[in-house]
Amino acid sequence: MIEKYAVLYPHTKFHVINTHVRNIDGVAKVTGRAVYTFDVKLPGMLYGKILRSPHPHAKILNIDFSKALELPGVMGVVTGKDTLGVKQGIWRRYKDLCDEQILPVDKVRYIGEPVAAVAAITEEIAEKVLNLIDVDYEVLPAVFEPLDAIKKDAPEIHEGFERNINVTRHIEWGDVEEAFEEADYIREDWFKCGGQAHMCMETRCAVSSYTPDGKLTIYHSNQSPYYMQALMAGVLGIREGDIRVISHYVGGGFGGKFELDGAIFCSAVLSMKLRRPVKIVYTREEDFIATKRRTPMYYYTRTGVKKDGTFCAREAKVFTNGGAYTGMGATALYLTGFFHSFPYRWKAYRYDGYRVYTNTLPSTSMRGFGAPQAMWCSEQQIEWIAADLGLDPIEMRRKNAHHEAYVIPGQATIQSCGIQQCFDEIQKWIKTKGKLPKNRAIGISAAGFMSGGIFNWFDTPYAFSAAMVIINQDGTVELHVGAQDIGQGSNTTLAIICAEALGVKVEDIKVHSGDTDFCPPDLGAWGSRQTLMAGNAVKMAAEDAKRQLLEFAYAQSGMNIVYDLDIKDRWVHAIARPERGNDYTELVKKALRGKDGHRIIGRGYYTPHRKGMISPAYSYMLQGVEVEVDEETGKIRLVDSLTAHDCGQPINHLGLIGQLEGAFSMAAGYGYLEYMPYEDGKLMNPNLVDYKVMRATEMPPTPVAEIDTYEPEGPYGAKEAGEGLTNPTAAAIGNALFHLFGIQIKECPIKPEMVLNTLKEKREKEKNSKK
Amino acid sequence: MINDFNYLKPGTLKEALAMYAEHDDCKVICGGQSLLIIMRQGMIAPEYLLDIKHVDELNYIKFDKKGGLKIGATTTHHAVEKSDVVKANYPALVAMENKLASIQVRNWGTICGNLAHADPAGDPAPVLIALKANIKVGSAKGERTMALDEFFVDYFETALQKGELVLEIQVPVPQPKTGTAYQKFNLLESDMGIVGVAASITLNGNKKCKEAKIVLGNAGPIPKRSKRAEEFLAGKALNDDVFTEAGKIASEECEPVADIHASEEYRKHLISVLTKRILKKAYEEARG
Ligand SMILES: Cc1cc2nc3c(=O)[nH]c(=O)nc-3n(C[C@H](O)[C@H](O)[C@H](O)COP(=O)(O)OP(=O)(O)OC[C@H]3O[C@@H](n4cnc5c(N)ncnc54)[C@H](O)[C@@H]3O)c2cc1C
Repeated sequence: MIEKYAVLYPHTKFHVINTHVRNIDGVAKVTGRAVYTFDVKLPGMLYGKILRSPHPHAKILNIDFSKALELPGVMGVVTGKDTLGVKQGIWRRYKDLCDEQILPVDKVRYIGEPVAAVAAITEEIAEKVLNLIDVDYEVLPAVFEPLDAIKKDAPEIHEGFERNINVTRHIEWGDVEEAFEEADYIREDWFKCGGQAHMCMETRCAVSSYTPDGKLTIYHSNQSPYYMQALMAGVLGIREGDIRVISHYVGGGFGGKFELDGAIFCSAVLSMKLRRPVKIVYTREEDFIATKRRTPMYYYTRTGVKKDGTFCAREAKVFTNGGAYTGMGATALYLTGFFHSFPYRWKAYRYDGYRVYTNTLPSTSMRGFGAPQAMWCSEQQIEWIAADLGLDPIEMRRKNAHHEAYVIPGQATIQSCGIQQCFDEIQKWIKTKGKLPKNRAIGISAAGFMSGGIFNWFDTPYAFSAAMVIINQDGTVELHVGAQDIGQGSNTTLAIICAEALGVKVEDIKVHSGDTDFCPPDLGAWGSRQTLMAGNAVKMAAEDAKRQLLEFAYAQSGMNIVYDLDIKDRWVHAIARPERGNDYTELVKKALRGKDGHRIIGRGYYTPHRKGMISPAYSYMLQGVEVEVDEETGKIRLVDSLTAHDCGQPINHLGLIGQLEGAFSMAAGYGYLEYMPYEDGKLMNPNLVDYKVMRATEMPPTPVAEIDTYEPEGPYGAKEAGEGLTNPTAAAIGNALFHLFGIQIKECPIKPEMVLNTLKEKREKEKNSKK
Repeated sequence: MINDFNYLKPGTLKEALAMYAEHDDCKVICGGQSLLIIMRQGMIAPEYLLDIKHVDELNYIKFDKKGGLKIGATTTHHAVEKSDVVKANYPALVAMENKLASIQVRNWGTICGNLAHADPAGDPAPVLIALKANIKVGSAKGERTMALDEFFVDYFETALQKGELVLEIQVPVPQPKTGTAYQKFNLLESDMGIVGVAASITLNGNKKCKEAKIVLGNAGPIPKRSKRAEEFLAGKALNDDVFTEAGKIASEECEPVADIHASEEYRKHLISVLTKRILKKAYEEARG
């Protein structure tokens, strides 16, 4: 909020923030010069391929690859026996949740799990040779659905996990029973939420190069080079510092690329054995069947409200399909429970989540991180409750929504919240829409999201984010960040923050990211953390460097000490006398001389403290979607939309709009297009013909009404954007169907056949009750 | 991964036919839009590919009021879609092409390649059959022409014999007072249809149906005419009730197969809805 900010700091006017800044990686990308892992080619490089389990659950009795080694061009084969057999996981603090050997030694737990990896002089040979590896399996009974897997007699997937329950999570505040007593109306529903593939344009890929001096260099497509470095050190038994991970350009992540994958692990194991660089690139099919996916969930939710619409209590129970391993699923389990309460004030709230192992593709984090599921259920049930009570659904939400300074008991303190203005915007929009054609309706859904997680299950001793700013003699700036640009534009965002804080132009900043040898450790790009956390670190580093410069400027100026100096737009000046000043580049040169040539280096870091359990800050939004349904076929078309969106002070306008568009398409896909059907543990549509992703022709207009707020914890008042908007759309579509036909669809994605069947059922019921 | 193959590039049709006769385990490639997919999936691994894309004598669209329309084998979807004579005389073909795949696929893929691929979900076949098209095929030994209706044998299988190429599609000039229309049902615009229906109606006077053709796409192993629905319509005065009834008959007559996108029952339902709608559209067009 610029005005409010201006009251606090009357001299402030942004020079760079939220101006029209082009993506700083844009030229490299559109000219094809950006080198992705996929493009990396090293001298002497071999090509690897992975043999995968055809069984959902089986013991590996024996692997015979003698025939494979005879094929000309084959350089080597590795199996679980060539590894240290480390069970790894990203929840490093909790040993029992480190449950995945990427090349399992004795047992496979899902179709597509790696069993062996080969390296050959060409990719063709590597692929061909897979057929020459004989694996003896003892097939075990398998189970695919969480509600089956928790049964007493279900097959045991991991030893020591009773009823296959992998993790449980409990959240509670207030006296739930008492609060339900106060309710005039209680409603309970069961929902089912589907999985979703991350569908990155760049599939998982890695090039590992181990050299006889004991150093390992890995090019890898990921969201957190530091995580990869640390996790690889753990599984390979070498020091973090001896591993360099390079990820300069990444073709998408969406929550699926910050755990180890088969490409990085197998290429490294092969490279260490063969002492040559090895490249592994997943095919699209492998990316579908052998990475991880959004967590499918069964949701039970019971909600009590007063006649006037005041929310009293909510109680939810969730069973998630965890698939074969933990991954980031434990975090998704917590976050879905937390965001199921969002963005409302509940006197009492209780959530019990159970993550259940099954013999399917592991589930994990994906953009929205448990919240799209939470909102799909919550926002529909709230809409139905409003209808049951004859209340205006927006007004009922408004009455119960979070506000500034609200404390979610034991969980979080809300410092900025623009949800009320969101309600206003959407109400206005609905009014301007007027009367809709007979086959159309508008559905709305509220949502919110975190700006980076506070949790440290990774057990890092480092700050959550760090940055370093080095100023060159010509005024150009080297900005080193551990934050990872995965296409979301964080390099640009951080350059903007750096330029603003230092008082220079964006083109003065060179961002160094995606290389563990040259960038400070940072947890990386997930949980919407980088703008706030890495942004704060960058701001601190730039201010540190600026302070060092200004010391010289001050000494030179001979001014009275009550005057403050600043730099804006390369202009060094007294704040009270902005017209009187000096050139920034000149100052840099003088400062360098004055320091005996010692470089000016600013350092910054960010680790959240005393910010509750979840996140330092939360975004808020309300979305309206106009939906058209063909009543005879059940086909859904999205006609129009408006999103009212509070992300604090936007840093990068163009980037923000791009992120929100992308989030909309992913969210809409989750709502009505993207399904992952399994038959006996086998994914039935692991290709882009049968897996339906929104295309340009399916996208409705996605305008955004930006709500002006200021988040005290964020850099320049900024907070989350781009992930949270994955949350509301599915429910908004569901709510539109409810208003159109009065049907309540409890399973997503909503397929046209479901629409028809639900409609038919409802009409039959009505007919019968008339009789 | 695509297997290694030997690449044959004929300059003329004659050369192409000779090469095709000479080489066993040889596949024709034109735009490659269907072929390369199944090669990459490892479903086929031919030793030879015969590339006819540049055999220019097969790249044409011809029309005259007597003989009708002739489309050569290497003519792209794009050329058909943008052709003025097609626009003027066979608007249903243009409408179909507009929604076939993406611009990139249409720029390179061909309508004959689409037919030779014999995917039951292909869009051109139902429309062309409704328009009573013939297909001309030929080998080094000679040429023959058959009704397109008889060209399809089974899933991805045609009446082409060894050494035979598709040479040309021939579409007669529609009778006066004829309307043709096509619609597919899909989840993403320009996807292949979950089902599709083409219909042609020729009127006798203003309301009465002289002749009807109804062709169902992806409702069985090959594009299939709903002959019972056609018979039902012949001679009837047309109205919404009649279209609805015809839709029901068509849906009873077809045998679609369930998959992850739609159950058998739902596909049948879609056939009845689409048939009804498309008959109405063809009828309105026939009335002009
Ligand atoms: C992304 C995508 C979307 C698509 N969407 C649609 C859609 O919505 N609707 C639709 O109908 N189709 C669709 N298609 C299929 C597309 O229409 C066909 O792939 C294309 O028209 C085939 O023509 P081609 O020249 O590329 O054939 P090729 O791929 O070169 O050949 C296809 C087959 O026909 C054979 N063949 C080709 N020409 C001849 C000939 N003259 N004589 C004998 N045999 C021959 C080949 O041997 C091969 O078996 C889609 C394809 C893609 C890749």
